[in-house]
Amino acid sequence: MHGARSQSRSTGLFLVLCAAMLVLAMLSQQPWAAGARSAAKSALAPGEVAMTSVATQVGRMTSVFGDVSTLRAENARLRSADEALRRQVVELNAAAKENASLRQALAFQKSSGHHTVAAEVIGAGPDGFSRTMEVDRGTADGVRPGMVVVTGAGLLGRVREAGPHAAIVQTLADPQSRVSVYLSTSSLQGTLSGGPTSLQLELQHTLGVVASNGEWALTSGVGGAFPRGLVVGELASLTRRDAAATDVAQVAWVNEPSSLSFVLVITDFQPS
Amino acid sequence: MRRIAGAALIAAAALAQATWAPHLEVGGAFPNLVLLGAVAVTWTVGARSGMVWACAGGVLLDLTGSGPIGPHALALLAGVYVIGFWTRSMERPNGVYVALTAAVSTVLYSAVLVLAGGLLGFSVPRPESMVWLAFAAAVYNALLMPPALEVFRRIQALSRWEALPN
Repeated sequence: MHGARSQSRSTGLFLVLCAAMLVLAMLSQQPWAAGARSAAKSALAPGEVAMTSVATQVGRMTSVFGDVSTLRAENARLRSADEALRRQVVELNAAAKENASLRQALAFQKSSGHHTVAAEVIGAGPDGFSRTMEVDRGTADGVRPGMVVVTGAGLLGRVREAGPHAAIVQTLADPQSRVSVYLSTSSLQGTLSGGPTSLQLELQHTLGVVASNGEWALTSGVGGAFPRGLVVGELASLTRRDAAATDVAQVAWVNEPSSLSFVLVITDFQPS
Repeated sequence: MRRIAGAALIAAAALAQATWAPHLEVGGAFPNLVLLGAVAVTWTVGARSGMVWACAGGVLLDLTGSGPIGPHALALLAGVYVIGFWTRSMERPNGVYVALTAAVSTVLYSAVLVLAGGLLGFSVPRPESMVWLAFAAAVYNALLMPPALEVFRRIQALSRWEALPN
């Protein structure tokens, strides 16, 4: 008797809380609530900064006790330098294939003409399904939803939501992420979508042209969401589908979000 | 005072989830500290308190991620509500039962989270990714649940946490 009553009270509380959360989810999704939602999310940013800072301090303290951490840091620095050099080689190779006008446009987009805002990574998405990260710059720093986010290695994603002093970046690994890319050697075009372990690329068939492993994928600019020529990753494997209109490939992303501390938000590119 | 301590614990778990937990990623999955806390509260304090923890922690998780506020809370509520039936019927659970409730709760949480995302107009992960992530997270949380419950029992003993009437 007591068990049944207890169960009934729990069910009642469950239903009430579920209804409240459903209403909250629907209301907070409305366009007119975007400001309040972003402000509420921004309010947690100082807490995330503090937690990240604690983690960094702990990391520094533990690194004193062994050479492994030092070697790891050195390895990361060298890897970062290597990625930057590889990006430059890829971009130079890609640029060489373009005609004069495209090269001019590409040079404009890639040159220091882009205004960027450096931002520190202060948090990540709370679950494994949505791959987002939070940065410590927001609308007060000129960051707006839709802006493109990059690192020294290449494209990271785009700003999804921006509060006054923090913004949420949707990375390319997020399942909702879609990027139009082309391959550096074969020039085949396709659409890249996110995934937890690798990026998946659907390549359009072109008669007589075959993609090969090791080719670099760069943003094509198609659709206007991203500027052309940003490095995304390297073709890791390709599955040919003769019966379909597209082939499927796995792309090894140049970025490893879990190891990022700083990112750059491009503030002068307006997605169409 | 106990409520303030509880609120601080929930906030700490949610912030740690958004800052530290992703660094513990294995195979695309990482532990869910708020879910572990909610399951621990359900075992030690009761199902109703577990649901309150799940709701508060879920809203905080929603505030650290993108999209609307509410899906994480809804998903955690579902996971905790179902294991509430289990915890009510067991006086002294062993580690295996505790781990299993974390695994079941994680699977339900994952399913409701993806479903809620789909209903709210967000694209969902590919099915094979979704199944793998839910499975990996369930195993991960199950392994962490027994020690997490022990830690929570010690914190509870320190603060003499009181349950909501069941």
